Amino acid sequence: MMKTILSKSSKFGIVAGIILIFCEMINLTSTLAEILEKLFTGGTAAKNAITPFYMGLVVGLIVFFTTINFLRTRNSQKKYSFGQGFFAAVTISIVSGLLISLLNIILGSYLVNGKDVRVYLEALAPDVIRAFLFQTDIQKAVTYYFMSTILGSMAALILFWISQKTNQPAKSVRALTHLKEKIQIGRAFERYPAVKTVLILLLIIAFLLLPLVINAYTISVLGIVLIYAIMGLGLNLIVGLSGQLVFGYVAFFALGAYTFGLLTAPKPFGIEMNFWLALLVSLIVAGIGGFLVGLPIMNLRGDYLAIVTLGFAEIVRILINSNLMADYTGGPQGIKNIGQPIQPSIFEKYFGEPLEDNVWFLYLIIFVFLIVLYAAFRLQYSRTGRSWEAMREDETVAQACGVTTSSYKVLAIVIGAAIAGAAGALYASRNTYTGPSEYAFMVSVNALAVVVVGGMGSIPGTLLGAFIIKGLPELLRDLENYRMVVFGALLIVMMIIRPEGIWPVKRRKLSVAPESIEILKEDLKP
Amino acid sequence: MTKKPSYVLEAENITINFGGLTAVNDVSLQVPFESIISIIGPNGAGKTTFFNCISGFYACDNGTVFFQERPINGIPTDEIANLGISRTYQNIRLFTNMSVIENVLIGQQPRLRSTCIDTLFQTFRNRREEKQSIQKACNLLDFVGLGAYADDVANNLPYGAQRRLEIARALGNNPHLLLLDEPCAGMNPHETSAMIELINTLRSQLKITIVLIEHDMKVVMNISDSILVLDHGEKIAQGTPDEIQSNQKVIEAYLGSGTENLVEKYSRRKADKGNLD
Repeated sequence: MMKTILSKSSKFGIVAGIILIFCEMINLTSTLAEILEKLFTGGTAAKNAITPFYMGLVVGLIVFFTTINFLRTRNSQKKYSFGQGFFAAVTISIVSGLLISLLNIILGSYLVNGKDVRVYLEALAPDVIRAFLFQTDIQKAVTYYFMSTILGSMAALILFWISQKTNQPAKSVRALTHLKEKIQIGRAFERYPAVKTVLILLLIIAFLLLPLVINAYTISVLGIVLIYAIMGLGLNLIVGLSGQLVFGYVAFFALGAYTFGLLTAPKPFGIEMNFWLALLVSLIVAGIGGFLVGLPIMNLRGDYLAIVTLGFAEIVRILINSNLMADYTGGPQGIKNIGQPIQPSIFEKYFGEPLEDNVWFLYLIIFVFLIVLYAAFRLQYSRTGRSWEAMREDETVAQACGVTTSSYKVLAIVIGAAIAGAAGALYASRNTYTGPSEYAFMVSVNALAVVVVGGMGSIPGTLLGAFIIKGLPELLRDLENYRMVVFGALLIVMMIIRPEGIWPVKRRKLSVAPESIEILKEDLKP
Repeated sequence: MTKKPSYVLEAENITINFGGLTAVNDVSLQVPFESIISIIGPNGAGKTTFFNCISGFYACDNGTVFFQERPINGIPTDEIANLGISRTYQNIRLFTNMSVIENVLIGQQPRLRSTCIDTLFQTFRNRREEKQSIQKACNLLDFVGLGAYADDVANNLPYGAQRRLEIARALGNNPHLLLLDEPCAGMNPHETSAMIELINTLRSQLKITIVLIEHDMKVVMNISDSILVLDHGEKIAQGTPDEIQSNQKVIEAYLGSGTENLVEKYSRRKADKGNLD
């Protein structure tokens, strides 16, 4: 028994050690420590003057989570005894401590001998290593990090032991998952429908007041998040509801943006159309684009739409970039000075002075977003949305039930494309510029990720997805170069914990009390 | 005023080939109003293929299918559902991730008129139709005995309930003709007798004509007005349950040749039973 625990815990120790070494080598340890220090002290820590305490904290935390994971691997019937757990925790901390010490000794000897490690590891500047090694006091550093690993694993052991003693393992986790059932939000909503309405209204009001209190940076991030949320809602209709895979969603986005740009910019055509009219036209043009793409695949089953849209997106991108179309689209230079809407004087009347341009535009985006949100809700919980979902579940049977699959397919694509067109128009107007480089394949991938991460076919999921895909990387800006690493890791963790998406779709309760069979007889008269 | 057609469904000389294989060969069938017709036959006899032809899944290579004296060959399945033919499937095919009531609402698709424009602007027509269709779906679910499950996800229903749900969904478009593909497959005797009762009620209460494929002879002999026997794609017999039971060709198809004695034995035993009663 002890032998298996020894081998298993040393494996965990090696994993923890490797994570520690990796994090230190890509310099993530000191970045995290810096953030923690900023968080706790409120001060600004310079990169080479981080208090070693926070370094130790990061190291300890990594070992802490590894040990917790080890102790939880046993199923609920068989628990480690305290002695076994202690033994395992010590093994884990010693093994990982040894590994991190090894790295420290190597790095330290490099530093003492005056060699620059940056030849091999770009991220490791001498300053960073010095901060990590207590200014080349290697012996002290080794002891210090050893202590961190031991403290980390002991903390894990004690926490685990307490949670077991109180006979409520992982109470916090369970409490979190059952939180919803405990406070019974759903039932309260069912009993008092007014509560839900009031809550939604309050949310909308809070949302509407938001742009007035946040700073310019947050305004720009929120704008992008909302534009992606609009796109996500459109794509959700196609991918999440009707089950047609679209890889080139950016094509419709670009169509909307360019139509808007050409209609409102002084060059090349000089039409300078009214904002709202141009928005409508770009919506229609994108919808027509969707119709044309939908036509060839309306009678096909399978993932043809994915290929067709993928090709279509590339054609659109190459065309707007080409010299052939340069007279109309501006070629690689794009369209400049795209029009923005004029602020109505109503705001000036109420606020005393006109809103700042970016705030005003954010309100505009919110306005369009709310309209699209309303439309998405209406469509999803209607005959149309149900038919789309039936088509996603089983196209053959849906058709045999009377769903005209070909026209519903095209309808989904047209509506989805039109929404993308509106998002594109807003995007172009917000930047007052549009160019071919903005419509790379990555935009389609992001839009698809918004839908998939949030939960296919779920509207709140899509909004959450937009925030995660476009908002989270901005929140992680403090992590500098590592934000994409952490972002990727977070996405992986999310998909492991909630494979159907973060906020999977929930069926609405629709049933009413049945009537007598006589009415049914009358009803069923063909 | 057009006269009422004499048959709900008339299939004339249906032939279906799959490459070199003739799955259904020159089969004809007349289905009178408010009757229950069973199609039986050994495995691979072409029963389901024949069904698929009627419901528009396959186009037949030869012959014509008339639905209320209107030819329906080569019409897409959604239009056939529109005309009033519904079906269920041998291996249950529900919309598994949707709720039970949503499944029934999809079944009503051909009877709904509101468009997506109505939906977007929440017109009066849309509200009324939505309300009516939900009420009707609940009535249907109550009728097949699934009222309590209405808001559950279809996938979580027990097997027997899934079969019933398929029937409820098929009833949504006010069918004249209901095609049931092995409605009692895999059921225990209790569930089977409940299903027999349901099918009988469908005809007696809702006046629906039913054609079904079934392997369970207890069901077939119990409820059918007429039985069509297929073997190797050919029609080998048609008649009342009694006629089929004593038909030499049918017994050969099921048990192999050299069964004359069995037939004799069977009819003798039947006669004895009659005497005893």
